Amino acid sequence: MFGSFKNYWQKRKLKDERFTFLFDDPPPDEFVVFDTETTGLDCKKDNIVSIGAVKIKGNRILTNEALHIYIKQESLISQESIKVHRIRNCDLKGAITIEEGIERFLYFIGNRTLIGYYLEFDVAMINRYIKPMLGIYLPNKQQDVSSIYYDKKISLIPQGNIDLRFDTILDALALPRLQCHDALNDAIMTAMMYLKLQHSHSLR
Amino acid sequence: MMELLKNLQAYPPFSLLDAGAIKEFEYAGQIAYYPLETILVEAGHAFEVLYIIIKGRVEAYHDDELINVYDTHDSFGGIEHLKQHPSNERYIVSEELICYEIPKHIFLAVCEKNHAFRDYFIASLVERADLLKEKQEYSSMSDLMVSRLEKNILQDVCIVENTSDIKKALQMMESQKVSALLVRNQNNFGIVTDTNLRYYILHKDEQGLTTIGQIQTSPIISAKEGDLLFNVLLLMTQHSIKHLPVLNDKSEPVGMLELIDLVSFFSNQTHLVTAQIENAASLEATIEASKRVIIMIEALHSKGVKSRYIAKLVSEINKKTYTKLFDFIIPKEWHEHCALILLGSEGRGEQILRTDQDNAFVFADGFIPDDVEKISLSFIEALDDIGFPRCEGNVMVINPKWRQHAADYAQLFDLWVENPTPNYIMDMAIFFDSVCIAGKKSLHTDLREELINKVQQYPILIRHFAKSIENFDSALGLFSQFLTLHKEHKNEIDIKKTALFPMIHGVRALALEQGIGVTNTYERIKELNNNGFLSREDAQAMIEALEVINTLRLHAQLKQYNTKKVISNYISLSQLGKMERDLLKDALKTVAHFRKIVSYHFQLSMVG
Repeated sequence: MFGSFKNYWQKRKLKDERFTFLFDDPPPDEFVVFDTETTGLDCKKDNIVSIGAVKIKGNRILTNEALHIYIKQESLISQESIKVHRIRNCDLKGAITIEEGIERFLYFIGNRTLIGYYLEFDVAMINRYIKPMLGIYLPNKQQDVSSIYYDKKISLIPQGNIDLRFDTILDALALPRLQCHDALNDAIMTAMMYLKLQHSHSLR
Repeated sequence: MMELLKNLQAYPPFSLLDAGAIKEFEYAGQIAYYPLETILVEAGHAFEVLYIIIKGRVEAYHDDELINVYDTHDSFGGIEHLKQHPSNERYIVSEELICYEIPKHIFLAVCEKNHAFRDYFIASLVERADLLKEKQEYSSMSDLMVSRLEKNILQDVCIVENTSDIKKALQMMESQKVSALLVRNQNNFGIVTDTNLRYYILHKDEQGLTTIGQIQTSPIISAKEGDLLFNVLLLMTQHSIKHLPVLNDKSEPVGMLELIDLVSFFSNQTHLVTAQIENAASLEATIEASKRVIIMIEALHSKGVKSRYIAKLVSEINKKTYTKLFDFIIPKEWHEHCALILLGSEGRGEQILRTDQDNAFVFADGFIPDDVEKISLSFIEALDDIGFPRCEGNVMVINPKWRQHAADYAQLFDLWVENPTPNYIMDMAIFFDSVCIAGKKSLHTDLREELINKVQQYPILIRHFAKSIENFDSALGLFSQFLTLHKEHKNEIDIKKTALFPMIHGVRALALEQGIGVTNTYERIKELNNNGFLSREDAQAMIEALEVINTLRLHAQLKQYNTKKVISNYISLSQLGKMERDLLKDALKTVAHFRKIVSYHFQLSMVG
C-alpha cells in the first residue's frame, strides 16, 4: 500500500517518458541479478566501472542474454581500486558513457525485481546517476541474497552470529567458486545462490 | 568470457574447442537449477539441450536399472543429438543440480565445424581411451607396450656353418665382437653361447669335440621381427636365456637380441628379480629375492605398462618362486607323487600385488607322505615370509581339506555337484581356476578334467554356478548408495565386488559351460570370441573394461601399499581424474551389459 503510493509519487516525478515501463507490474517469475564494480566503497564519491546483470526466469539463469558493460572513466582508475576489481585502464577500450550504460541497464532490467548481494550499495550507486537523469530512484522491488540467507540461517541458530561473507554463503550452499571476480561472474554466482536458496528448506 | 566456460574448457571434450566455439556456447547457453529428483529427460523422449554439469549429480536409468552416473564437469545428451535419437534412458537428478544447457542446434553446429569435438561424443569406449592417450594426458602410458622388436635394438648376428672348426668359429666371435654364434644346421639353426663354450672346455678331450655343431644348442628359441618387446621379455624370462636370435618373415636371421639391451630398454627390475630368484641357492635367498617383486611392479606400473602384462610377468616370476620353494621344502620322495596347485586369482595368473594365497596339494592315490603337517606348515610360513597374506577362506595346504589324494578330491567333487551350496559353488569356482605349478602335473590335469566333466553333466548346476554374479549389485547402483549407506567408504566403490567379480565369474561360468580349458580371464574372453559366443566388439570392450578396472585397482593398491595402509579393493572416486572416471564408468557399463548377457544366457531369473 505504502509502496504503491511511493511508486505513484515517483512516477509523477519521472522526467523521461521512455522509462514509464519501470512502474509496470513485474512478471512474477522473472528477476534480474546484478552487480557493479566501482572505484571505491563510497557511493557519493566513487564511480561505477562495470555493470554485470543476468535475468532469472523460473529455474533458469539466462546467461545467453547477459549484460556486461564497462563505463568510460573521466580520470584514470587508481592503483588501489585496480587491485580490487582487476579492471585496468586498458580493459576499458569498449567502454561506453555512464549515461548510455545506465539507459542500457534500465532497458535490460525493465520492471523486474532486482536481486543482488548487499544490493543496497549497488542500488545506491545506480540511484546516484538516475536521480539527476530521470528524477527518480529505482522503483523495482529488491531482494538481497544475504538477507534471504540470514533469515534461513537464523532459524537454525537464533543467537548466533551469522557469517554473511560471499564465499561463506557459496560454501554453505555448496556452490562452485569462480576464481575471477568481475561484475558478470559475481552476478551469475549470486543468481545461483538465489536459485538454490529458493529451493533450500534448511541450511547446514 | 564467462569464468564458468573457462572452467569447462579445462576438461575434455570442451578442451577440444576453439575460442569461437566457446563464444557460440556463451551466446546461447543458459544455467539451470533443478531440485532433487527432477526428471530431466524421460526414456523415449528427445533431448532438448546438451547438459553440462556445473555442480551436482544425475543418474541415468534404463528400465529401473541404474546404468550411468554423471558428475561435475560431465555432459550428457550429446550422442543422442548427433544420432537424432531419443533418449534410451531416463535422467534423474540425484543431487541438486546446477547445469549449463546448450541448445541442440548450437551444439550440432559446433560439432559440424569441429570434428574432434564431435568424435569425442561418438567414440566408443576403446576409441575414447585412445583419443585421450593421443592428447597425452597419460603421456607415458603406451610407449612401452606398443614398442616392437626393431633392428636398432639388435646386435649383429654372426652365422657359421655346422661343420666349422670350433677354434675358427671362436676367432670369428672375437673379431666380430659378438657374444653368441648362430649355427646353420640341418634343423635350421643352433646357437652357441658361453654355456656351450664351458661345455666345450670341460669335455673337449674326453669327447673329442672339433666342430661347432657338436656343442651347439638346437633347435633355438627365437623371436620374430615386429614382436611386442614385452612378449619378447616374457619369452626370455620364461626360458632364462640371455641371447635371442631374431628372424624375419622368411625365417632368416636379422640380428641377435641381448637380454642386457632389452633390460636397459625397459630399465626396470624385471631381470634382476628373475635372476635373483633363479639363482637363489637357499630358501632364505628365494624369500629375499621374492620380496623385490613389488619394486618391479611399481616400476612397470609407473611406466604405464598395462596391468594384464604386469600380471603375466608377475605370475611368471611367482611360478619360479613356487618351483624354488617346492624344491627346497618338499621332500624329494614327494616330487613324483604330489602336485602343487595354485587356485583362484593365482591360478588365473591375475594376482599382481599379493592379496592372498590359494594353494593345495594333490597326492597320488596310495602315496603316503610323511610329516605332512610339518611340511605344509613350513611351506605356508615361507609364503608368509615372502609376504603372501593367508587366505581368508583357508584354501591352503595347511588345511587338510586342501591336501588330499586324487580319489578323495573326486569324492569331494561329487559332494559339490550334488549339493551346490554357495560355499561348494565357490570351491568349485576356485578349483576350476587352478593350475599345477610344481610336482606331477598329470595328477592335477586329470582331476580338473574330471571336475569339468561332472559339472557339465548337470546343466542346472552351471546355472546355479552363474547365479553368483548376482550376489553384488551393479557397480553403478552401489556407486550412488555409497554416499548414504557406507559412512566409512564415502565416495568409494569396492571395485572387486561390483565390477571385477561379476566379470571374472561370468566369464568363468561361460568357460565352464563351454569347456574352455584356459584359466586366465583375458584368455577365456578371447576363447569365447573365437568360438563365436561373444561378438568381437563385446570381447574387445570387455578386455578394455577389465584392463581399466585392473589398472585403477592396481593404482589404488600401490598407493595404499606406499602409505602403509591395508590393501583393499576400494577406489576413491574423488581421487580419480575426469578421464579415469569416464573410463571407469564406461567399464562399469560394459560390466552391466555383460551381466545381462550372462543372465539372459543362463536364464538366471528362473534360478532360485
